[in-house]
Amino acid sequence: MEHSFSLPNSGHNFDAEASKLGMWLFLFTELLLFGGLFLVYMVYRSLNHEAFIEASHHLNVWAGTTNTIVLLASSLTVAMSITALQQGNKKRSLLLLTITFIAAGVFLVIKYFEWSAKFEHGLFPGMEHYSQLPTGERLYFYLYFFMTGLHGLHVIIGGIFLAVVMVKIKSGKVHKDRISLLENGGLYWHLVDLIWIYLFPLFYLIH
Amino acid sequence: MENINTHTPQVAVSQHISSYKLLFTVFAGLILLTILTVLVSTTFTFSVSLAVALALMIASTKALLVAYYFMHLKYEPRFYKWMVIVVLALFTFFVIMLTIDYFTR
Repeated sequence: MEHSFSLPNSGHNFDAEASKLGMWLFLFTELLLFGGLFLVYMVYRSLNHEAFIEASHHLNVWAGTTNTIVLLASSLTVAMSITALQQGNKKRSLLLLTITFIAAGVFLVIKYFEWSAKFEHGLFPGMEHYSQLPTGERLYFYLYFFMTGLHGLHVIIGGIFLAVVMVKIKSGKVHKDRISLLENGGLYWHLVDLIWIYLFPLFYLIH
Repeated sequence: MENINTHTPQVAVSQHISSYKLLFTVFAGLILLTILTVLVSTTFTFSVSLAVALALMIASTKALLVAYYFMHLKYEPRFYKWMVIVVLALFTFFVIMLTIDYFTR
């Protein structure tokens, strides 16, 4: 006699569709979180237009462009790693995730240098030079540090998420027929990319 | 032994597998749009509102590509697309309310 039943939370009542739906719902809350910040940006920019343009000249367009390309490439490798695992190619999937992980590191290193340059110029909120700036420019830098900082935090969390997924792929817990964790990690990573797609033109490319 | 209680999960999700070629094409498009938006902002001078509108249009095209192909939105049930539309509508509503608020003061 063979009985097959599952207890709640026994790990056997796995539902891929619900897992994905939950991830999307979470991503919507993330979108609205950043959406609120974009609204603040919209209002302050419309009130301090000249100052925003003046302040944006302090940013390095090429560093921003490089980081955009790095993030886009890492999004590609995550999407490809899902394809690889769906086709049962564990090794390739892991390799692609490793590249994504490295790209996340590269993004943060570039960001670190950008922030350091601003610190050196005393542009971080609270620093001496910052306090002497006109109100509009102060608002710009406040928003710049807050929004890229919050985004950077998401890059770090996304990197950790993907690292966990890599470990689970390695140990065989995430595989071809149970791919949800990788898919959700990928969704999160793409969201990080999506937000940067808007941050980049709004902070770096205003002239 | 291990399989005793592993009742096979219903495979309700028919997984779509995106080809590497498609993903790479989308990536190439994203890079081109990035170059375009940088070029537009550094080499041409438009009126401010036109420049912002152009930058946001290019960004939204990129966002749509990422969501549609990288996030597999294209292959999800229609329900997912509706959810995205509702969230975007909600955000648009916020934008409109805030704009009305600020410009009627």
